[in-house]
Amino acid sequence: MGTNKKTKAGVKKYKTQQMIITVLPFVALVGLFFLFCGVVQSKGYRLDMYLKIIFNEGVVLAIVATGAIFIYTLGTFDISLGAATLFAATLGVTVYNSTESFGLMVLTIFGCGVVCALFNSVLASVFHIPAFVTTVAMMSVLSAVAGQIITTKGGALGGISIPSEIVKPYDTPVFKIVILVIFFAISFFVFQLTKVGRRQKFIGGNPVCAKLTGIRYNKYAIIAFAMAGLGVGLGALLTLIYTPSVTTTTASSIGMNIFIAIVFGGMPISGGARSKIYAALVGGFSYMLLNDVLELLIDNSAAYGLTQVISAVFFLLVVYITGMNYRSTLLPR
Amino acid sequence: MKKKLTGLLRIAVAGVLTFGMLTGCGSDTGTTTSDEGTKTEAAADAGAETEDTAEAGKTVKIGVLVADVSGEEALGFRSYYENYIAENYNVEFAYTDALASAEDEKAAIEKFAAQGYEAIISLSSADRAMQIETCEALGVYYAIASGVLDESQYETYKGYEYFVGQVGPSNQTEFEAGQEMGAYFKEQGIKKVALYGAFIPNPMHVYRTAGVIAGLGDTYGGASDMDAIAGQIFGDQGVDLAKVAGDVEIAAYLQGYGDTTTDELNAAIQKAPEAFLSVGMATTFFAQSLNEAGIAFSDIDSFTEMNGAAIKEGKLTYLAGKYSSSIGPVFALVMNAVNGNVIRDAEGNAVSFSQGYLVATDGETFDQYYVSDNGDSPIYNKATLDGMIGDDITYDFVKSLIESE
Repeated sequence: MGTNKKTKAGVKKYKTQQMIITVLPFVALVGLFFLFCGVVQSKGYRLDMYLKIIFNEGVVLAIVATGAIFIYTLGTFDISLGAATLFAATLGVTVYNSTESFGLMVLTIFGCGVVCALFNSVLASVFHIPAFVTTVAMMSVLSAVAGQIITTKGGALGGISIPSEIVKPYDTPVFKIVILVIFFAISFFVFQLTKVGRRQKFIGGNPVCAKLTGIRYNKYAIIAFAMAGLGVGLGALLTLIYTPSVTTTTASSIGMNIFIAIVFGGMPISGGARSKIYAALVGGFSYMLLNDVLELLIDNSAAYGLTQVISAVFFLLVVYITGMNYRSTLLPR
Repeated sequence: MKKKLTGLLRIAVAGVLTFGMLTGCGSDTGTTTSDEGTKTEAAADAGAETEDTAEAGKTVKIGVLVADVSGEEALGFRSYYENYIAENYNVEFAYTDALASAEDEKAAIEKFAAQGYEAIISLSSADRAMQIETCEALGVYYAIASGVLDESQYETYKGYEYFVGQVGPSNQTEFEAGQEMGAYFKEQGIKKVALYGAFIPNPMHVYRTAGVIAGLGDTYGGASDMDAIAGQIFGDQGVDLAKVAGDVEIAAYLQGYGDTTTDELNAAIQKAPEAFLSVGMATTFFAQSLNEAGIAFSDIDSFTEMNGAAIKEGKLTYLAGKYSSSIGPVFALVMNAVNGNVIRDAEGNAVSFSQGYLVATDGETFDQYYVSDNGDSPIYNKATLDGMIGDDITYDFVKSLIESE
């Protein structure tokens, strides 16, 4: 009788914690959004322009990280996504400059994104090389090859580019929102409404159990990396739409920012049952808002270091809060 | 069912929030979000500010794009703007963090525009074409203070309304600076050197390195002219020592600065070069090691305190440098533009002036440039700049003044 009461109290506490953890990222996003608006307004800056800047900063990260969630759900990760974005954009520009075909450029970018991701998945799932090793190696290889192409073809310009008028018509919030919504809807469908997402969570939570249940890891790893590849392709395309040039440092911050976005969105890096498809969307924009709020609040000359420190503290705080229910004796539900 | 409903609810909230953010782009100030709309409004703001500036002496806000925030040259430039110019003119400078990519540059320009900055001075070169186009779309004046556009880019953008112009060493000037440095050591009878290519593939460093090879009398891949050597270095992303041939041996080559550079430097020192030739930031990175090893070194940098100590007390024997106030004329051009006098060349295009390097090979020559450009009396001091700022200042006048310095 007493044990029953204890269990019920435990379940109630667990559910409350889980609700807090689920709601917290949204509350943080709303809070940061209003704080950001308040800071911009109080300083007399143009809020409409600042919102557009935030959106442009966040949309590429949100899309690439949303694709990456499929990989993280499996309990693994891919640190080469930033380099893959650079590589896809580089090949896209090269193909456009050779053919002057926008369609071919887009196809190349998507093809490249998916092929890079699938290559990682083959190494990880077929040859059983740890993803950490393969993706670190791929990051170096892709960056080096892209760098070689950029410096060889870019010469004194320091980068390669396509004519800005080719992509200018697409550099609008409406186009980017449509892309974001479509990709998110596809990801949501696959992750939430098909067995793919459920099984990926199962694999991420307990790969041995999943295997004993008859779930084939390789199949779901390939799907996960393919979705991430689509995200990389879209990210590369949107990067080119924003700045129609590629330098060796293009998309250089995406790889690490994916981690941060996913954690800020309330998803554990370890993946499994607590994985959430919306984490990257919410976390990506929260992170950009936080960065810009700090940049606006702290004096320019000292901003960089302090922003990093405060972001790091915020990051640890989020990890602590989202990790609260890991310490529960109950299984996730 | 309940779970699916909760999931959908979460997505709906995420969608509403995102939509809220985005609709805010256009609704907050009741203006259009199109580039044209933004440009018109930002330009109108700038115009209003200009009138205010003239009438009420309102502070002119200038944003500075920087990629290097710690180099001797960058610090010298910053000190000149923030400590000398800002004290003598009603102007406020805001510096970016170290910009790493074209996306960072564009976001920085957009933020400056959103904050009401009227002009941008660029010391960052990830994508200059994009910088000009962004400033044009936002109606913010733009000028280049370090490096210059390549010829085809300049031809494309010279007619842009908000492109004020460029003042700095051209690629040819960079090559010649390296060439003179190489030739200086060859004339000294040096037979074996180590070469530091700084941050290749940065074009400025590529052309300087190409110049050094040519100045030493060597060939690179069989080529001895600027474009052929530079083109190969771009392709190789560095200097391939197997391609170097000539009387002066390049015994070691290194570039960049990171975990392995110290080891590479030590390996280079082990090869006992008679001189260490650097195309940038040698004093910042290597002065101590080279002084200890007793190896003479050279650099293309600027006339700063640290370089002064290196040339007087250390082994720095050749410095081709800019002086900190060399970015004064760009400021004058920008001020004129903000005040309504956008100076154009004879064909009505954005101005383009090339600046050369000054060379010091001893403490005395160094002091001649450093002392005269330091503290309260820079070479481009208030009196000189006042002569370049005004409603009746012409292209020919500015040109003659810059070329006479």
